[in-house]
Amino acid sequence: MSKRGWFVLTAIALGLSLVAAGCGGSSKKSSGGGGTTAAAQVKGTISMVAVWTGPEGAAIQAVLNGFKAKNPGVTIKYKAAKDPGQVLTTAVQGGNPPDIAALPSPGLMKGFVAQGALKPIDFAKSDISSNFSADWLKFGTVNGKLYGLFFKGANKSTVWYNVHAFKNAGVTAPKDWKDLLASAKTISASGTPAYSIGGADGWTLTDLFENIYLRTAGAAKYDQLADHKIPWTDPSVKTAMKDMSQVLGDSKNINGGASGALQTNFPDSVTAVFTNPPKAAMIFEGDFVPGVVAGQSKAKPVTDYNVFPFPSVNGQGAGDVVGGGDVIVMFKDTPASEALIKYLATPEAASIWAKRGGFSSPNKNLNLSVYPDDITRTTAGALAKAAVFRFDMSDLAPAKFGGDAEFTDLQNFLKSPSDVNGAAAKLEKDAAAAYKAGG
Amino acid sequence: MAVAEVRQPALRDEAHETLAVRIAKLPVHLFLLLIGIMWLIPAAGLFVTSLLPAATANARGWWHVFSKPSEVTFANYRMIFHNSAITHALVVTAEVTIGATILPILIASLAAYALAWIEFPGRDWAFVTVVGLMVVPIQMALIPIFSLYNTLNLYDTVLGLILFHTAFALPFAIFLLRNFFAGIPRDLMEAARIDGASEWRLFFKVVLPLGLPAIAALAIFQVLFVWNDFLVGFTLSQDNQPIAAALAGQLRQFGSNLDVIAPASFFSAVIPLTVFALFQRYFVQGLLAGSVK
Amino acid sequence: MGVEFPDPGRTPPAPRPSRVRAAWIPLSFLGPAFALLTVWMIYPAIRTILRSLWSNQGNKFVWFQNYSTMFGDSVIHTAIKNNIIWIAVGPLSVTLFGLVLAVLTERIAWASFFKIVLFMPLAVSLFAVGVIWRIMYQQNPDQGAVNAGLNSIHNVFNTPGVLPRAAPSSPAVTDKFVFTKQLSAGGTATLGLTAISPQDVPAGATQAAQPKSKPGSITGVVWRDFKPGGGKPGVVEQGELGIPGVTVALLQNGKSTNTAKTDNHGAFTFDGVSGSGYQVKIAPATFAQPWQGVQWLGPSLITPAMIIAFLWTAVGFAMVVIGAGLSAIPRDVLEAARTDGASEFQVFKRVTVPLLMPVLTVVFVTQMIGVLKIFDIIYATAPGSVINNATTLTFEMWRRSFLGENAFGIGAAIASFLMLLFVPFLIYQVRSQRKNL
Repeated sequence: MSKRGWFVLTAIALGLSLVAAGCGGSSKKSSGGGGTTAAAQVKGTISMVAVWTGPEGAAIQAVLNGFKAKNPGVTIKYKAAKDPGQVLTTAVQGGNPPDIAALPSPGLMKGFVAQGALKPIDFAKSDISSNFSADWLKFGTVNGKLYGLFFKGANKSTVWYNVHAFKNAGVTAPKDWKDLLASAKTISASGTPAYSIGGADGWTLTDLFENIYLRTAGAAKYDQLADHKIPWTDPSVKTAMKDMSQVLGDSKNINGGASGALQTNFPDSVTAVFTNPPKAAMIFEGDFVPGVVAGQSKAKPVTDYNVFPFPSVNGQGAGDVVGGGDVIVMFKDTPASEALIKYLATPEAASIWAKRGGFSSPNKNLNLSVYPDDITRTTAGALAKAAVFRFDMSDLAPAKFGGDAEFTDLQNFLKSPSDVNGAAAKLEKDAAAAYKAGG
Repeated sequence: MAVAEVRQPALRDEAHETLAVRIAKLPVHLFLLLIGIMWLIPAAGLFVTSLLPAATANARGWWHVFSKPSEVTFANYRMIFHNSAITHALVVTAEVTIGATILPILIASLAAYALAWIEFPGRDWAFVTVVGLMVVPIQMALIPIFSLYNTLNLYDTVLGLILFHTAFALPFAIFLLRNFFAGIPRDLMEAARIDGASEWRLFFKVVLPLGLPAIAALAIFQVLFVWNDFLVGFTLSQDNQPIAAALAGQLRQFGSNLDVIAPASFFSAVIPLTVFALFQRYFVQGLLAGSVK
Repeated sequence: MGVEFPDPGRTPPAPRPSRVRAAWIPLSFLGPAFALLTVWMIYPAIRTILRSLWSNQGNKFVWFQNYSTMFGDSVIHTAIKNNIIWIAVGPLSVTLFGLVLAVLTERIAWASFFKIVLFMPLAVSLFAVGVIWRIMYQQNPDQGAVNAGLNSIHNVFNTPGVLPRAAPSSPAVTDKFVFTKQLSAGGTATLGLTAISPQDVPAGATQAAQPKSKPGSITGVVWRDFKPGGGKPGVVEQGELGIPGVTVALLQNGKSTNTAKTDNHGAFTFDGVSGSGYQVKIAPATFAQPWQGVQWLGPSLITPAMIIAFLWTAVGFAMVVIGAGLSAIPRDVLEAARTDGASEFQVFKRVTVPLLMPVLTVVFVTQMIGVLKIFDIIYATAPGSVINNATTLTFEMWRRSFLGENAFGIGAAIASFLMLLFVPFLIYQVRSQRKNL
C-alpha cells in the first residue's frame, strides 16, 4: 500500500482549511529576504512532473509562481502524476523526460542516476549546504555528485494520542520508552487499550521498528542495515525487536488484540484512537496522521488529539527522526532549470507552501513561525532540527523486501512476538534474496 | 436458431392451482424469499453506508442507523460530485464505455457478416481462430500492451482504453453475431443479391436491421463489462482512470474512507443497473442466441 | 419480408455470381477486426511468452530461470492452490445453485422480480463487490453484517457479561476472580478490578468504601480499582467507584453456598456465616466474553469468503441463462414423460437435465473462465496482511509486474503459465464450434 497517499492526505485535510486563507497563489510579494542569490533573470520554458495534486498541486503552483515573479520570462509547465516513478521511467525510455521532477524517494533518484538520466546539480551545492543539514546534503549525493534537493519532508517519529484517554488514565506524554510502557499499563488499567496498530498495512510495523532501531542501534548501524551490510540476524536487530515485542506482545493492550490489529488497516487504526469513546489511546505513526483524523472523525487538534515525539529508548536517540522526503531532480540542464533549483533551496520558497499547511520543510533556515499551527510546528520543527535524520529504511530497500516481504515478516512477528530469533531469521532470508536480485 | 423462439419462462396456470398445490409450494416461496433477502442485504448495506457520515460508518455497522435514522445525510453524494477525481473518472468511464461499445459492435458485425455470408478460402479457419481467442485472458496482454502504449503514447489515454476493450470484445462479439447472422434465411439473402445489391448494401440494409436483437444484447453486455472494468483501466491509465480504477486509487490512499468509496461505488452501479433493468430481455435472448444452438 | 428495403429506381444490373467475390471484399469486411486482434491479442500473446525468457529488467536472456524462480516461490504455490480451490468450487456451485433456483423460480408468480434481484449484482463492478463484502465481513459483530447475523444466533445461547474486559487489579484476586485470602466469619474481601473504561461502569455507581467487619457475616466490596494515574492497586481510594449489580458467590471447600449482589457502593454482605474456610468469588458470567466473530478476512477463511462474494455476483447470471434454457424445452416432451408415470424428480433427472446439458455446459465454462480471471475481488476484499494468503495466479502476475516490483520477467512467466491453463477451454471452444460450421 502506498505510503505516499498519506502525505497527499495531509495536505488535503490540513490544506483545505487553509486554502481559503492562503489563496494568494500568485502573490508577487515574497515573504523572506529573498536576495541571497542575486541571480540574473532567466528565460525559457521549464517542464516539471511531481505527485502533488489538489491542494498540494495548488501549493506547488504558488511556489512556482514565486519563482516566476522573479523571472517573468519563464514559463513553467507543471504536470501532476499519481506515480511519478512510473511516468518518468516511461518518459526516460521514450527520450522525453521533463526538465525537473520531484521524486518520492531517494531510491528512485539513485535508479535514474544509474541509468544516466539525471544531471548533477553541484552548481547549487553552496545554496543547499547553507540551508540544509549535512544529512540532507548527503542523501542528495550519489557517487560524490549532488543530484537531489529535498524540498518537502515527512516526519515519522511521532506518536499521536487521544487527549481524553490520557487524561482519564492520568498519564502525560512519555519521554522514554520505559515511561511509555509504564503509561501504557496505566492506560490499560483505566479501561482503554493503550495501542492502536494498523497491522493490515505492513508499513506501519516497519515504521515502528525503524524508530526503535535508529535509537537503540544508532545511525551507523541503521545505514548498514539499510544497505544490508549487516544481516537482520545481527544482535542489534534482535535487541530492537525485543523492545518492539514489549508493545506487540502486550496483546491485551492492543485494540482488537494482535489478530484484530492484523486486520486493521492504517486509517481504521487512526479512527480507533480518535473516535468517541476511544477504542485505544495512542498510535505510532507519522505527521500525516492529522490528515486522517480530519477526514474520519470529529476530533480537534490539541483539545482532542495531540502529538509527542517518538520517545528515546534507554535514554538514547531523543529527537532522532525517521522520515521521508520528496527530492527535486533535474533531467535537463538549462539555465532556467538551474535557477529554479536554486530558488527551491531558499527558505523563501519553502515558506510559501509552509504557510498553506500540510507541509514540512527540511530547510533549517525556515522560520517555524510561518507554520499555521502548533502541531505542525512541533512535527516540522523536529524534522528540520533533528540531529540525526534517516530515511524510512523500507523505502530504501528493494521493493521486493521493503515493500512486500518485510511487511509480511513483521506481520508474522506481530502474530508471535516472542519468537524474535525466528522473525529475524525470516527477515534475513527474505532480505538476502531481495538484495541479491537487486533493487 | 431464431431468437424469437426463446420466450421468458411461462408462468404456469397459477390461477388454476388448487389450495393443496399452493400449500405444497409454500416452502419454495419461503426459500426463495430468504435467498432474495440474502441477496439484497449486501447491496442495501452499501447504500445505507453511503448515506452515513464517515465517523458514524467507521464506528458501527450500517444497520445501527435504523435505530437512529437522523444520521442519514446526502452530504456524501454532494461531496463526491465535487470531488474532481470522481467526476473526472465518471466522464472518462462514459467516454470509454460509449467508444468501446460502438466500435467493437461495428467492427464485429462487419467481420461476422463476412464469416457468415461471404465465401472465401480459409473462412472456417478464420472463424475457429476467433472462437479460440475468446478464452485468451486479458491479463496475458497487459505487459506487452503496457510497453506498447508507452511507446505509442497511448498510455493514460481514453483512446488506448477504448482500443484495448474493443480488441478483447471482438472474439465474443464476432462469434455471437456470426451465429446470429448465419440464421438469417438464405432466400432473403439470395433475393437481395439477385437484385444486384452489393455486399455493403446487403450488410447495411438487410443484415444489420435483422441483427438488431443480437446487437442490442451485445451492447448491453459490453456496457456492463466496460463500465465495470477495473483491471485494464487501473493498469493502462493513471490520471484518466475509469471509475472502478479511480475508486481503487481512493481506497489505496484513504484506506477505508467509506464516505467516498460507498457513495461512488453505489452511484457507479446505478448506470449499469439501469441499462440492465431496461434491456434485460434482450440480454438474455442475445446470450442464448450466441451460445445455445 | 421479401426485398422490401428501398431501392430507389435503379435498374438492376445483370445478376452476377454471388458466391465468388474478389478478395478485397472479404478483406475489407475482416480487415479492421483482423488488425485489432493481431495487435492487441496475438502479438501480446507471443510477446509475453518471449518476455518470460528474459530477465525482469529485460536486458538479459535467462532461458527458463523465471519459471524456476516462479515455481520455487511459496507465494506462487499458495496462488496455484487458491486457483485450484476457486476452479473446483466456484463454477460448479454457481451452476448447481443456478440450476436449482431456475427450476424453483419456474413455479412462482413473482419470478421476474426475483430474477432482477439476483441478477443485479452482475451489474455492479467486481471491485465494488469487493468493497461491499469487505464491509460485510468485518470481524467485530458490531461492524460486520455477516458476524452480526451469526452473533444474534450465538447470543440466544450465551449472554455476554457486563464487564467482559475487566481484569483483577492486584494479586489479591486470582485470574479466576477468587479472593485469595481464606475468610472466616467477620472477614472482609476487597475485590479490585481494572481495565473498565469509564463508560462501561454500570449506571448508579458511587464512591466505593473499605468494607467494615461485621460479626457473623462476611462483607466485601467490588470496585473499579483505578483513578487517574493508577492509584494504589488493592486499596480502596477516594475517586474509585463501586460496581453495582455484580453477583458474588461465597464458596466453602470450593462449593458455592450462597450468592449476593453488590449495591451502588459495590458492597456486598453474606449474613449468617459461621466458622472459617470461606472464599469469595465474582460469578464468571460477569466476565463472559462477547462473541469475537468469525475472522472471515483472516488468512484461513479469506478464499472461501471471496468465493461466497463471487457466488453473490454470478448465481443470478447462471439462473437467468439456465431459466431461459428451461423455458425453451418443449412442453410436450415433459408432458409425455409425465404421462408415462415418471415422478417429477425422474423427469428432472432423465429429461430436463440432459436437454439442458448444452446450457449448463456454457454456464459452467463461462464461470470457469471467469474464475481463472478473478482479480478485482481479491484487490478490494483482502486486507494487506492476508494478500499472500488470498492471491491467485492472475493477481500475482499483476502484482509482480505492476505493483512496485516491476518484475516483468516473472509476471510474463506467470501469464504464460496461465495461458497454458486456458488451453483446455480453447480446445473445447474450438471443437464445439467446428461442429456448428
